[in-house]
Amino acid sequence: MRIKWMLTLASMKMFFRQREAILWTLLFPLLVVVLFGFVKFNGLGTIDMGVVNEAGPAGEELLSRIRSVTTFEVAEGTRDDEMARLAKGERDLVLVIPSGYTQGGAAGLTAYGDVEAKPQMTQLGGLVLQRELDEAAFAGAPGLRRTLVTTLPFKSRNLTYIDFLLPGILSMSIMQAGIFGVAFGFVTLKKRGILRRLWVTPIRPNDFIIAQVAMRLIVIMMQMAIMVGVGVLFLHLHFIGNMALIFLLGVLGAVVFLGFGFSLAGISKSEDQVAPLANLITLPMLALSGVFFSRTNLPGFVRSVTSLFPLTYLADGLRSVAIDGASFMQVMPQILGLLIWGVVSCVVAVRLFRWE
Amino acid sequence: MTEYGEIVLQVDDLVKRYGGVAAVDGVSFSVRAREIFGILGPNGAGKTTTLECIETLRTVDAGKILLGGLDVRTQAHEVKRIIGVQLQSSSFFDKLSLAELLVLFGEMYGRRVDPLTLLDEVELRDRARSQVAQLSGGQKQRFSIAAALVNDPVVIFLDEPTTGLDPQARRHLWGVIKRIRSEGKTIVITTHYMDEAEELCDRVAIMDAGKIIAMAPPHEMIDALVAGGFRKEKVERLASLEDVFLSLTGHTIRDE
Repeated sequence: MRIKWMLTLASMKMFFRQREAILWTLLFPLLVVVLFGFVKFNGLGTIDMGVVNEAGPAGEELLSRIRSVTTFEVAEGTRDDEMARLAKGERDLVLVIPSGYTQGGAAGLTAYGDVEAKPQMTQLGGLVLQRELDEAAFAGAPGLRRTLVTTLPFKSRNLTYIDFLLPGILSMSIMQAGIFGVAFGFVTLKKRGILRRLWVTPIRPNDFIIAQVAMRLIVIMMQMAIMVGVGVLFLHLHFIGNMALIFLLGVLGAVVFLGFGFSLAGISKSEDQVAPLANLITLPMLALSGVFFSRTNLPGFVRSVTSLFPLTYLADGLRSVAIDGASFMQVMPQILGLLIWGVVSCVVAVRLFRWE
Repeated sequence: MTEYGEIVLQVDDLVKRYGGVAAVDGVSFSVRAREIFGILGPNGAGKTTTLECIETLRTVDAGKILLGGLDVRTQAHEVKRIIGVQLQSSSFFDKLSLAELLVLFGEMYGRRVDPLTLLDEVELRDRARSQVAQLSGGQKQRFSIAAALVNDPVVIFLDEPTTGLDPQARRHLWGVIKRIRSEGKTIVITTHYMDEAEELCDRVAIMDAGKIIAMAPPHEMIDALVAGGFRKEKVERLASLEDVFLSLTGHTIRDE
């Protein structure tokens, strides 16, 4: 019996003497809880309401009243913008306050929603809106006219979760292939002395690196083709994008993550060192770059900071192209973001990469 | 008696420090063409570091190394072309066959090699399609020598080539090394096996604590020791246990 206890004690000593153990068993779960705590999952039950205020100051009071309704997640925008978002499913309802609107005046309001695809949301939203308006009317002065809200059906593209998810997963697999593939691959080569054996030959280190990069890029492009193919053929992916643009974004993203992978390979001596560092980089991005769920539910500050993540640029870019059919110019922000990250990651990789 | 040629490797006052400690502390020697030159010494003596400095794997803190007329410190790239190296702790790509590896290494020197001819040199032709991980210890060592010959080098460096091998494999490797030398190559070998140094080396440098403390042909050193009055303590036996072993198990090498 004593030996069981001694072995347990010895195992615990060995476990906690690894620095990574402290990091991963204690700090990391805490980090995950904090990160996910930021995401307002409660927001998933609310109605995403876009408001188009064409009445200017006259519509302000109504607008603030609508904002105060907790069921509504309100965003304000132009008609074109909000209707586009409605088409994509980012809004459940879009309320238009026409330019002639005044409190208690004759002008009615129109709310647009996809009644077929989201019957509950549209009907509920319409009812709540009407109630708010009625309350406003009663609170003002008796006899004030009741403003009517008419809900008009709007055919959205009926995008489903797969349309959101697949581009996100695509970007995730590019990241994993770049970071983990290179980092683990090179660290193993380094540790086993395979790279050393190469170093006594006349080959230039760059030759080897270029070969590895080329190989991984080819594999990544194959991955992308397979995933999009399977998505379209079997999963009802609403793919309307330009495949060449998809590949371009994929390659730009791959370069960024390959650079990270080389940097990690440079500073790590063994696989045990690589894994925690790789996870430290990838997991926050997986959580907050809009891979698994939309970033609209993130609080403002977190959302702004995470919008600069390379994975965010990649996921947004792929999604825009694949699902919204975005053009080259329309994803220019994402392309530029990825290019800048690419330069940064390559510079860092060149600095940090070591053969031994 | 082998005809030695001109000096192909000249090392003058080589110094390599790690932190404050000099792993190689002012080492000088020269090696002539077709010599088998041995560097002997206990572990930590600086043999491997010395070799790595000459092989361009380590930067040098002080001293001069001339190999085939090239300055190793400034012309490393050219030096890599004319040397062959068998590293003590290194390995080859996992999923490539021996033949594929030799062809690939040949390409690194811009050469088209015939892998089977090279494998013949080390008697591994029948394993051309195997991967390195599938070989026994002795076969791995033989393969790394084949890989070191890919570019028909001027000088070959072998770092403890028979460490960990059984008696048959050791003897067999000695035969391979002698044959390579007879084909015109110069060989620099480190070892801590005395019998190996006696058997193979034309001249030996004994290193300890980063310095060369003696350098001469083995038989001269032995003669000098005996002339100084040294006598072995025990009565010399007519045979050793190794002789028993070999007579019982034979000289043919055992590969799995």
